[in-house]
Amino acid sequence: MENPGEGTRTGGSLAVSCERVSFSYPGSERPALSEVSLGLRRGEYVGVVGPNGGGKSTLVRLLNGLLRPDSGRVRVSGRDPATEPFEVRKHLGVLFQNPENGLVAPFVEDDVAFGLENLGVPRQEMQSKVARAIQTVGLEGYERREPHTLSGGEKQRVALAGLLAVEPEILVLDEPTSMLDAAGRREVLEHLQALRTEKTILHVTHHLGEVAGADRILVLNGGELVVDETPGRLFSEADVLRENRLVLPIVPKLALELGLRPAKLRTPEELAAAILERTESETRTV
Amino acid sequence: MRLELRAVRHVYARGTPFEVEALRGVSLSVETGEVLAIVGGTGSGKSTLAQHMNQLLVPTGGEVLIDGVDARSLEKSELRRRVGLVFQFPESALFAPTVEEDVAFAPRQLGLGEEEVQERVRESLVALGAAGLAARSPFALSGGEKRRVAIAGVLAMNPEVLILDEPTAGLDPATREDLLALILGLRGAGISVVLVSHDLDEVAEVADRVCVLHDGRVRAIGSLADVFYRDPSQAPTTVRVASLLKESKPEIGAPVRFAETLEALKALPGV
Repeated sequence: MENPGEGTRTGGSLAVSCERVSFSYPGSERPALSEVSLGLRRGEYVGVVGPNGGGKSTLVRLLNGLLRPDSGRVRVSGRDPATEPFEVRKHLGVLFQNPENGLVAPFVEDDVAFGLENLGVPRQEMQSKVARAIQTVGLEGYERREPHTLSGGEKQRVALAGLLAVEPEILVLDEPTSMLDAAGRREVLEHLQALRTEKTILHVTHHLGEVAGADRILVLNGGELVVDETPGRLFSEADVLRENRLVLPIVPKLALELGLRPAKLRTPEELAAAILERTESETRTV
Repeated sequence: MRLELRAVRHVYARGTPFEVEALRGVSLSVETGEVLAIVGGTGSGKSTLAQHMNQLLVPTGGEVLIDGVDARSLEKSELRRRVGLVFQFPESALFAPTVEEDVAFAPRQLGLGEEEVQERVRESLVALGAAGLAARSPFALSGGEKRRVAIAGVLAMNPEVLILDEPTAGLDPATREDLLALILGLRGAGISVVLVSHDLDEVAEVADRVCVLHDGRVRAIGSLADVFYRDPSQAPTTVRVASLLKESKPEIGAPVRFAETLEALKALPGV
């Protein structure tokens, strides 16, 4: 791994960096994170996976200043989240697991405006930012809907719009689909994909399939960063997956067993096409 | 035990402006020793249906039969012993200081001797791979462990039918696989299981038959292959892959389980 602290010291290219960061919860014998070093370059899409208790949520809380490391250094856009949490939260927005907990206002548009109101943004500017955020997540026409009447996927998109309205350059997604059904999950993931080109994204998830298209995947296990690899390599390493209680989705799992490239094949259609191609080249050689 | 629903209807909040017909005439049976999956989208009536199986909800119309006898004529306590229902997120109902006591709570209500109660607690914890947790506080367990303890509490009643409403919801994929293996173990022990789920890939691995609910009605019921190959757009991943290949490779057959599908794919020439 390259030296993750380098960029921040010069105010350079790293959007997020952790240098030998350790953290223990009070009363716990085992550190939740132990000497973790990592860096996110601007515009990167990085997945974070690993078993429960591996340290994923702790990492998220250190990045937005909810927790302060016992030792080591965290920087977000050059700032220390532990000492400047409010400044950091303008640059880094977190989408949490359960959309029910985050929605507070009577109407969708008020909810999306909530973060901006807290920052004291002038009314007119706020209106245009809210409208743009609602458009980005595809919820035009929902402005005057009451959040509790929405589906899980729609609620999570409202929460995402609230984050985007503040225009952070870094998005941290903390298991954003875990409370959603398959349709809601697809819906949220599609909107996240569309943000890839403009944001630096850290996506924490239990589902390896959701980060198959990431630039890199980090595996946290027992508080340590144990893997930092491309999805292509990680998906092919059955032992590493097993040791870290990671489960491949059905399509890459079939692909792996058939000796096809698991990270390239994400949908049943892609897998079926790859299989057909093989059977046809066989017919030609015969 | 054979559990049968005949033309069951259920209306919530009847006679109010909030009246909703959640079940519109559902007929199905759960045969002895099978895993029957109930699938369908949010609001299709899955949980309402599950709660009719032990008379937690009483049908507005139609009837529930236990070995041919109308469930309404049976003692409720007797019925609920024979048909165990595990709610969604059952761990929220854990309450005792230790796992052992939590699991012992329900069988103790049956008026069994203490020795018998302890025996059942031990057996159900073993069946769920949770024997090592007996002395722990349920509140200090991980999500997957809590889920297993909550299921053990219902299993300790020695039910003949176990109804699991979204038992893997919110669990991480590895813990989910462990729990699915346990469900197969229960079937192996002769217990019928009704698995309510919205995850077709897990249904593909453990169910014997599947019932598709839509808008309070049975849209399809039958073997996994029959139901899923009829509409591969609403099918597990394995079936979707195989049905895409079926046109040019009919010899692939109709595999559903992962291992079956892998075998069928490997048998294709060149693969």
